[in-house]
Amino acid sequence: MTLTKTRRGLLLGCALALVTSLSGWTNEAQAQAFPNKPVRLVLPYSPGGIIDYVGRAVATHLAGPLGQQVIPENRPGAGGITGTDSVARAPADGYTLVLMDPAIVINPTLQPSMPYDLFKQLTTVSMISSSPEVVVVTPQLPIKSMSDLIAYGKANPGKLNFASAGIGTTPHLAGELFKQRTGVDATHIPYKSIGQSYPDLMSNKVQFAFSSIAGALPFTTDNRVNAIATTGKVRSPVYPDVPTADEAGLKGFEVDLWLGIFAPTGTPPEAINKLNEALRTALKNPELIAALAKVGVEPRGTSPADGDTFLKAEYAKWKKVIEDGNIKDN
Amino acid sequence: MMDVLSNISLGLGVAATFQNLLYCLIGTFLGTVVGVLPGIGPVTTVAMLMPISFTLEPVSALIMMAGIYYGAQYGGSTTAILINIPGEASSVVTSLDGHQMARQGRAGPALGMAALGSFFAGTVATFVIAFGAPPLAKLALQFGPAEYFSLMLCGLVAAIVLARGSIIKAIAMVVVGLIFGLAGSDVNSGIRRFTFGVQGLADGIEFVALSMAIYGVAEVIVNLEKKDGAAGIAGSIGKVLPSWADIKLCIPSVLRGTALGSVLGVLPGGGALLASFSAYTLEKKVASEPRRFGQGDIRGVAAPESANNAGAQTSFIPMLTLGIPSNPTMALMIGALMVHGITPGPRVMTDRPELFWGVVASMWLGNLMLVVLNLPMVGLWVRLLRMPYRMMFPAIIGFCCIGTYTINSNVTDIAVMAAITLFGYLCLKLDCEPAPLILGYVLGPMMEENLRRALLISRGDPTIFVSAPISLGFLIAAAALLLIVAAPAIRQRREEVMVE
Repeated sequence: MTLTKTRRGLLLGCALALVTSLSGWTNEAQAQAFPNKPVRLVLPYSPGGIIDYVGRAVATHLAGPLGQQVIPENRPGAGGITGTDSVARAPADGYTLVLMDPAIVINPTLQPSMPYDLFKQLTTVSMISSSPEVVVVTPQLPIKSMSDLIAYGKANPGKLNFASAGIGTTPHLAGELFKQRTGVDATHIPYKSIGQSYPDLMSNKVQFAFSSIAGALPFTTDNRVNAIATTGKVRSPVYPDVPTADEAGLKGFEVDLWLGIFAPTGTPPEAINKLNEALRTALKNPELIAALAKVGVEPRGTSPADGDTFLKAEYAKWKKVIEDGNIKDN
Repeated sequence: MMDVLSNISLGLGVAATFQNLLYCLIGTFLGTVVGVLPGIGPVTTVAMLMPISFTLEPVSALIMMAGIYYGAQYGGSTTAILINIPGEASSVVTSLDGHQMARQGRAGPALGMAALGSFFAGTVATFVIAFGAPPLAKLALQFGPAEYFSLMLCGLVAAIVLARGSIIKAIAMVVVGLIFGLAGSDVNSGIRRFTFGVQGLADGIEFVALSMAIYGVAEVIVNLEKKDGAAGIAGSIGKVLPSWADIKLCIPSVLRGTALGSVLGVLPGGGALLASFSAYTLEKKVASEPRRFGQGDIRGVAAPESANNAGAQTSFIPMLTLGIPSNPTMALMIGALMVHGITPGPRVMTDRPELFWGVVASMWLGNLMLVVLNLPMVGLWVRLLRMPYRMMFPAIIGFCCIGTYTINSNVTDIAVMAAITLFGYLCLKLDCEPAPLILGYVLGPMMEENLRRALLISRGDPTIFVSAPISLGFLIAAAALLLIVAAPAIRQRREEVMVE
């Protein structure tokens, strides 16, 4: 079954490649139209994370509509700053792009100094995807819902710990936002990755976490930790029975682990538009949609302008959480 | 018992199909290659192959990725022995005696013993997974931050035992290693430490840059100082395979290394890394002539190589049975499984027995392939050593630069390597062993992380380390080790006084 599907996929891929090479031919007439060489997509994290996974999947499917190879390149370091910086300094010709998560808007507020100015040196090509976080709690406490968690926190001040994938990551700031919204006191316990925190969650050393869906899935499918809410606007198709935070009583509480593709400021509008168009076409490809759905990620293409507006709103949102929570001075 | 046997035969049935054997071969071959080449590690390789794996059967994909992972562990020892460049932290110990053997013209037996020891360990570890996966997975869950901290502390104390010469120098090197390990962003606050405002240091000193500097480049400089230019590598390459006497001598070491590696490998928080270090220390402690260690003792190759291979294998237990990744490569494998709609966890064994047992059986077949692939290669590798040193040293330095750069595509790493080379040269001149430094560097940050995590959870109460029984056990073991070290040190000093 899978094999025949694979073969069909291969055939489809070959057909696509043929079509793109043909369209490449016709384009040659209009000399040097963008893109006339492979495009580099910088992934500013080490292999193994969600960015890496989504980045490679998007790169594969972008090649068709773009008519050029897209080469993913890991440039990890400093919570995404190193890789993003390398793109901010790259020639603004549309051949160097970066895929980033909310850390791109969190870093400028959190870090004492930045090597680049986000809004001056980078511009949005398109948002790529949206993914809620899932609130997971240890099974060893009688916490079955968001209101249970809040009630437990209020009744046992100083007892709750929450795990994150490190300072300034979305799981961390989501936890801070939760504390600010509910007045619940909880201690932040950072881990290197959210996956590392699960043994401590299972054994009640840590009581809850705002986890990525990909990180949570192995543990929620057999109730080794309990999922009590997701943080999207609507319920996640991966967790149809789990209410959103909003439904569970935290009105308007939304945390989005979005991803977007950015280019150096000054990239010609034709190149940006061509990339945007190709990306939005790629994001409609059922194969890519299915690959992303497996890890709880939903494609979301935007126009460059809408992407910029969204980016600014996210920047303001997290800036307030960081300042209200006094996180920078820790 | 019968269950396990029928499961193993189910697994062999899956693993021995033509397709899966092919993927196993591809995986182990690629693994060996990237293990030998510095810079490109198993993580990068597996990441690059991810898109291909989507189109494979999940069991084939996992068999191939697993092959890359343990194949790389295996290939890493080749460069450690031949040119003293450990590509992975786990092969640092192998270079201690392995490279000495190579210089004495015994590279062949060293490589051969590494291959045989690894194969034996791999075989045993496969059975450990088959029989002990569920109970061992429970052991991994017993380890919280306090337990990990005490385990690491125990490992650090062992690092001091590891050193050849003066204990004071060993302690100093461990401390320098700890300081190197502290550079970079603080986990709890994100504040940068010892980065001097350099962006490229935000994540600390890269392991490969450090090990290439100290073992690779600094060693080259020391060798160039020697007038004869032969750099101490024996003219004759000697026998290519270990003799029966070598093998007999190594049997107990291999057994001990395998046992240690199998147990420590189960711990997802860095246990596999500790395996080779502890195996070496243990050998030194039980050997009748411990003085020969560090000067080309074949047991010093056999034990850590068995341990790291057994550890690499059993580190699949937390991944397959709990869904907890021990390292980035495992995280990638979990990702690959999830793409196929399989969520790793306790249910994999019951819901997808063909997957679980197929992968386990493929590991044994993969280990067999590694021996078959590598034993004939030993002769070729050894012949490389005949290359005149004036041609070899530029190659080693080029190798080191490329390897260091390709890790993060970061030029700062090469500058860091150059700077540490000066320090490494100084250490070699002062006769300070680099192994304790490396262990301090690797364990320090993990220790700090777990110490602070444990104290955060206990709200600052340090009794958490003695109230947890496992943690207490490690602390007692560390104290006992310190005593054992201290006693002969005092005796040795007395001997030295007598000599004078």
